[in-house]
Amino acid sequence: MKKKLLTTALIVIAGGGAAFWLLSAPTSLEAGALGALEAPSAERGEQVFWAGGCASCHARPGADGDARLELAGGVELKSDFGTFVAPNISPHMQDGIGGWSDMAFANAMLHGVSPEGEHYYPAFPYPSYARMEPQDVSDLFAFIKTLPEVEGDAGEHQLSFPFTMRRGIGLWKLAYMHDEPVVALGADASDAERRGQYLVEGAGHCGECHTPRNIAGGQLYDQWLAGAVSAEGEGIVPNITTGDGGIGSWSAGDIAYYLESGFTPEFDSVGGAMVSVQKNMARLSKEDRDAIAAYLLAVQPKPNGYPSSR
Amino acid sequence: MKKIALAVSALCLSVSGVAAADDPIAVRKSIMQATAASAGLAGAMMKEELAYNPAIAKAAILTLNAGAKSYGAFFPEGSGEGDTTAAPAIWEDAAGFQAALDKYMTDTAAALDAAGKDGPADLASFQAAIGPVFSNCKSCHEKFRVQNN
Repeated sequence: MKKKLLTTALIVIAGGGAAFWLLSAPTSLEAGALGALEAPSAERGEQVFWAGGCASCHARPGADGDARLELAGGVELKSDFGTFVAPNISPHMQDGIGGWSDMAFANAMLHGVSPEGEHYYPAFPYPSYARMEPQDVSDLFAFIKTLPEVEGDAGEHQLSFPFTMRRGIGLWKLAYMHDEPVVALGADASDAERRGQYLVEGAGHCGECHTPRNIAGGQLYDQWLAGAVSAEGEGIVPNITTGDGGIGSWSAGDIAYYLESGFTPEFDSVGGAMVSVQKNMARLSKEDRDAIAAYLLAVQPKPNGYPSSR
Repeated sequence: MKKIALAVSALCLSVSGVAAADDPIAVRKSIMQATAASAGLAGAMMKEELAYNPAIAKAAILTLNAGAKSYGAFFPEGSGEGDTTAAPAIWEDAAGFQAALDKYMTDTAAALDAAGKDGPADLASFQAAIGPVFSNCKSCHEKFRVQNN
């Protein structure tokens, strides 16, 4: 009897282990997924680069001007799970991603999986990037390959157990990673709203900071863009819906001007981590900034997604 | 009559002196509000929502310059708590904060110089003068302000 119980227990454990192993397996694109694309364009890729905010984490901490194109890594994101260190993604053959294939780059961006077949931590905002078009990803890689090669490794993440176990991220992805659109725009939505949706929900990865998360770090999509306590611990990231506490009094022109200049309608200025983001947004075309504004005004209004501090 | 005016202005000075000592958060907020209002005026002219006027331009530059010179005096140790968006970095990196204030003062003084007696002659020269001043807003707020509501 005892032996039978033990056997059953072992089978359950083994079964659970096998299920974990299967469910948490890193996925990748189909072999021919990039076959039908146009030849990559570095020129288009530059726009994707600014829309995607790559420089904000992958340039050296505090880099400004042309130094934002040197993707040495080193910016630290301090979170409840530990400290994530943005890696070198310059086109350096050994220390950066210069030796990567197009497929490896696309798998990193769209599936959050490394060339070695391991999960990346979602501090790298691939849950948003997964909504990007493969053509944009391909163009982006072409642009990155035109940038300066930078030597040096940015260092390891400093995480505590159990977050050191990358395999577990596979389950996190199953639970929280959705590459379909977040907002259901109506059939009558304008082209600008659709373009804005693509930029905000995909490359722009606005929701990664502006949407609150649950304790496991999954985004609470029913409070999409409603603002959140900063993942880095200090202060809040504001509500950018038109709900209470948000940007209901802003016109589309106000939003576009803020993205271009960094000034709010009251001429308060951009601050904190958004300064770097706004510098990226200033590099987009006016049409794309207008599209982001159109989309934000179309998102369902929500009250603040963080508790009032007073 | 003149004596009364003097007495009144002295009274105002001492009242504001007391307010400053008691509530540096309130004082620095009002300086920043005046700064934002002046930046708003400047911005409205640059966006051509408001016709360019050299006297208004100069008044805006003067206000920014006065703010730049006085702002730093209202961040005593311990004033990071309460109804404020001041970041802990102001005290943790006091030298960095001072450097940011110094740069702001240098840039507003240069704008004042460029403005001359009657203010910048046209919108283009005003933009050239005020551009470097505006860049201070975000560079300082990037590190030294925390949004908390």
